[in-house]
Amino acid sequence: MAQMELAGRMLEVDENGFLQEPEKWTEEIARAYAAKEGVTELTPDHWTAINYLRKYYQENGICPMVRRLVKETGFNLKKLYDLFPNGPAHSACKWAGIPKPTGCV
Amino acid sequence: MKNNELRFREFFENADSQLVKIEINHLIPLPSPYDKSQVSAWRELDTDQRRRLVCNLDGFIAAGLPVPQNAAEEQKYIDQFVKGLKKLLSRESNWTFLQPLLLSLDFCVKCQTCCDSCHIYLASGRNALYRPAFRSEIFRRLVNKYARKSSSLLSRFGVDEIKLNWATISRLYELSYRCNLCRRCAQACPMGVDNALITRELRKLFSQELGWAPQELHEKGTQLQLKVGSPTGMKPKVVKDNLDFLDKDFSEVTGLNIATPWDKSGADVLLLPGAGDILSFPESIMAFSILCNAAGINWTLSSEAPGYDGVNYGLFYDDIQFVKIALQHARIAKKLGVKKIVMGECGHQHKAMMAVADRILTGELNIPRESSMTFLENLVFSGRIKFDPDRNNFPVTLHDPCNIVRNLGIVEPQRRILRYLCPQFREMNPHGVDNYCCGGGGGLSLLAGANFIGWKVNISGGLKFKQILAAFSDCPGSGVKKYLCAPCLNCKLQFRDLLEYYDAKEKSGIYCGGLAELIVNAMVDLKNPFITWGEY
Repeated sequence: MAQMELAGRMLEVDENGFLQEPEKWTEEIARAYAAKEGVTELTPDHWTAINYLRKYYQENGICPMVRRLVKETGFNLKKLYDLFPNGPAHSACKWAGIPKPTGCV
Repeated sequence: MKNNELRFREFFENADSQLVKIEINHLIPLPSPYDKSQVSAWRELDTDQRRRLVCNLDGFIAAGLPVPQNAAEEQKYIDQFVKGLKKLLSRESNWTFLQPLLLSLDFCVKCQTCCDSCHIYLASGRNALYRPAFRSEIFRRLVNKYARKSSSLLSRFGVDEIKLNWATISRLYELSYRCNLCRRCAQACPMGVDNALITRELRKLFSQELGWAPQELHEKGTQLQLKVGSPTGMKPKVVKDNLDFLDKDFSEVTGLNIATPWDKSGADVLLLPGAGDILSFPESIMAFSILCNAAGINWTLSSEAPGYDGVNYGLFYDDIQFVKIALQHARIAKKLGVKKIVMGECGHQHKAMMAVADRILTGELNIPRESSMTFLENLVFSGRIKFDPDRNNFPVTLHDPCNIVRNLGIVEPQRRILRYLCPQFREMNPHGVDNYCCGGGGGLSLLAGANFIGWKVNISGGLKFKQILAAFSDCPGSGVKKYLCAPCLNCKLQFRDLLEYYDAKEKSGIYCGGLAELIVNAMVDLKNPFITWGEY
């Protein structure tokens, strides 16, 4: 298993850098992921999306549809890409500490 | 080493070193603005990945096999491999595929006709490692020496030299995931040899005997589907909740009253969608819902796991997992008492349920199974829905999913729809049963660990991308929006990666979607266009 240093801790990640143990997630880890993608400050909008993703994941065991994320946060796709450079799946879910979506998605 | 030279001997020597190096300059050229100076190269494996994972083939990792602890562990796998080889050759263990396997092993005349039919070999700049017959020949020699004990004149003179060691099996494992199982080479072979079948038998041996399979296909694929209902992880409650959300969301957008039916006993049609469509391409499932309701079809979805996800990754790598899932799909349809099952827009699902599962779905489980291509054609020409083709007045081309078109021979229904509903429909060249695979076939569209996407967009997908650009060469640039119609979930995933990597939406205005969406977009009852070019 690959490991990555995030916020001063060595954590297990997959080959794409997604956290493998969502329960170890902290807000500091989200900031550390963001910094790796060149985002130095997380705004309230970032947290709106991240907190929604975490809540949905905890309730349903998977990531929400992007369409749902758009509707629930009120951020359109362009805005989501502005906030998260690699998009909802590759940045937002990763920063939120949710494992990479599986299956044909 | 030159790109097109590779001796068999090298394959079983130097287990720790990379066999070939792929150079971007060797790959087939793409037209501007996609020439090599304008696209970024793939991500090289980092030192940590090279330390942890077996990477002795071509500098890419699809399967992600952990490096064994010691020589004893390597030997254990080698012994299991021999046992697996023998099973593949035995009627008791391999009654399903033994005959075509033997024919493909025995009748290759080494003419290499298959080379020029392979999109991977061609796009790689004719790298010898990717010859369809290279992999098969290694396998054939192993079978002859270890499972059949033949002592032909050739082997005594060392002409078909082979060694069974860690280098051989670890490279062969990765190499079995450098083929899209598209069977274009099988179609070209004058002897009818099926190199894709050999590749799939190899994957099966590794999975069933050694426990080796990419986790996207196994742990997070078939196992997750058997456990919760879908490789996406969607449980019945979540899938119903998602569809409920989509019904409302799309009712607002379209001005139609969309209500997707669930678990209707005795319905005429059970639609078996790919659940990935619900999550990632929801326009597809909504388009089916709109069309079925508009045409007055008595249809239903099933919320019983895994009846809402028609994928069956067993087709790609493992007979046992394949059978488990196919039986569950058929049993759910039987329980609901539907008259037929209609396959969603998903190629491997078509082949799994309509062809391969024929061998096991007998008696009361032999429920009629129909392709969405003919189903949609009947619906479009039924006269029950009014269309205005002018609503689709933009350039459209059609990708032929290998499993639907070459492997099942369903070529024309989708074309009759497009000729009627899309005034600017144009074919790719070649097309129909001669199409090139999208590059994600055979389960590869799911494999995204390490740096494998780089291989898929440059090598397995290179020729397809070139073909797509050529089909739209009369309207270059992003000013004209263009629709790449790919009626297959796996293909759409590959195209999403391909279009993103080449930035083709920005540079060329190319958008990819399915067939049902184009049909709905032409409905006169629609308030707003259904196709929104990826924006919402």
